[in-house]
Amino acid sequence: MTAVTEPAPLVVIRNDGGRRRRGVRTRIASYGMLLLLAAFYTGPLLILIFASMKTLPEFFRDPTGLPESLSLDNFTEAWGLANFPGYLMNSLIYTVVATTLFVIMSVFVAFPIARGYVKGSAALLTLYVVALFLPPALIPQFQLILNLGLFNTRTGYILLFLINPIGLIILVNYIKSIPRELDESAVMDGCGYFRFVWSILIPLIRPAIATVTVLHAIGIWNELILATVYLTNDDLYPITRGLIVFEGVYGSDWPKLAAAVLMLMFPMLVLYMFLQRYIISGLTSGAVKG
Amino acid sequence: MAASQQQHLFGGGRQRLYPWLLLFPGLGFYLLIGVGPSLATAVYSFTDATGIRGLPISWVGWDNYDEFIFRGARSRDNIDALQRTLIFMALVTIVQFGLGLVMALLVNQKLRGRLVFRTLFFVPVILGVAVQGLMWKLFLRPGGGPMHEIFSLFGLESQFLGGPNAFYWVIVVQIWANAGFTMVIFLAGMQTVPADLYEAASVDGAVGWQLFRNVTWPQLTPAVNTNFLLNIVGSLQAWMLFLVLTGYRNGTNVLGYVVYAEAFGQTSASSFRQGYAAAASIVLFLLVLALGMAANAVVARRERKYMS
Repeated sequence: MTAVTEPAPLVVIRNDGGRRRRGVRTRIASYGMLLLLAAFYTGPLLILIFASMKTLPEFFRDPTGLPESLSLDNFTEAWGLANFPGYLMNSLIYTVVATTLFVIMSVFVAFPIARGYVKGSAALLTLYVVALFLPPALIPQFQLILNLGLFNTRTGYILLFLINPIGLIILVNYIKSIPRELDESAVMDGCGYFRFVWSILIPLIRPAIATVTVLHAIGIWNELILATVYLTNDDLYPITRGLIVFEGVYGSDWPKLAAAVLMLMFPMLVLYMFLQRYIISGLTSGAVKG
Repeated sequence: MAASQQQHLFGGGRQRLYPWLLLFPGLGFYLLIGVGPSLATAVYSFTDATGIRGLPISWVGWDNYDEFIFRGARSRDNIDALQRTLIFMALVTIVQFGLGLVMALLVNQKLRGRLVFRTLFFVPVILGVAVQGLMWKLFLRPGGGPMHEIFSLFGLESQFLGGPNAFYWVIVVQIWANAGFTMVIFLAGMQTVPADLYEAASVDGAVGWQLFRNVTWPQLTPAVNTNFLLNIVGSLQAWMLFLVLTGYRNGTNVLGYVVYAEAFGQTSASSFRQGYAAAASIVLFLLVLALGMAANAVVARRERKYMS
């Protein structure tokens, strides 16, 4: 009966012969399926890594096998060929500026809605919930940015990322779990509204802020469509768009292209390693609301 | 209600305006860039708007809808795209739901290395379409890619993304990219199932499939419903992988891509027909709404069955 205390076992293994043999068989079958799935999931990544270390003739001779030597030449060459440092800098600017602005503004929206400190806060929250079911804003948004004269500008592009209904809902839900007595005692001590939100509430809701920050930043970093629609100047491209340009020019030079793809991927993988808790909790809580 | 008292919590006079003043920037941007344009899509769908600044926009009534659905060869392409969107939705929903559930069940067991597997299955979700697409373009390279070699082991031949079955290969990539998300939602659901339910069931002699059927599945109702809805709505709206993997090409397009291509000059026949594209966008929206509501009705019935 040892195994029954674990949270949610697929199969409970008990201490009698037949059952145990069944357990071993389940285990072997499980590993078999896991390995098969792992091959499906890692295959494309491994091939990409292999390709990134081959010379072009070597790639054409043997596009799938292990590379003959561990060479990073493709990375340095791809870095120099495309405007990679520029693209990377653009991606960083867009991601950092838009995420910072969005998160700060959202806390000041989420707090009074969560507490009912503004009239009609329930209706306001509904306005964010229904957004998930509204038609896409793409076309009128384009007309708006165009007529504001912000087409093909950094400002216009950043403007597009100052909204995220799911992020706001995550903040509202988290703030609801902070006891209201805290507000009252802060007021008793003569604390003003802004100072309360800025220096008392924000530190308390750090986990939710981390989640929303990471989710929002990933979205901006990965954005390709808006970058294709709103930016026509190579100097303004984020790295996703830059990569597609790179593909257009060096499309048949897979070793360099593979190196470029890996360079775009790398920051996301590092981020994931350190922040996976926040990413997963954000995605699941956002999804349950959606 | 205590609401009126709470509104005055942070002092009277000018202090009372602060919540509104500080709320305004966030809400303002949301209305300006999000909700406003979203609703305006319906208005634009009755105009001949283009993507060129300063060109006059005039009212054309139902013309765009009429052209999109009924007129000429291109409307037949649109109907094809609509059908393809439904096939895409059905296949992606069924396979991704099933695969996500199987992966969640597998990595939820106490097995060595389960965290590694969990990470492997989830990582594609955070990579974005540019990386996902290019990775698979290499994997599916005709005449020399790994998939080509696997195919030739069985004496098969395919052009993959360049051939007539390109549409189905995009479905494979779509599922590969997003099944990890489905898995994570199932896992979150599985972690809330109380262990004593399993204990009670196994004392009654339930094993394997019976445990899943009578304990896991009903207890998983919220996660099942969420995944069902998200997969349907998400796959109806998904089209970005087509942009990277196949480009705009007859025989592969889904509705979402038609909208984008018509609005931003990706088709050969026209450029920047944003009024027309807005109409297409509303057609897609109505489809999402109808199927989303149908799915929601199914979900509500399940909830009454299992949760009452």
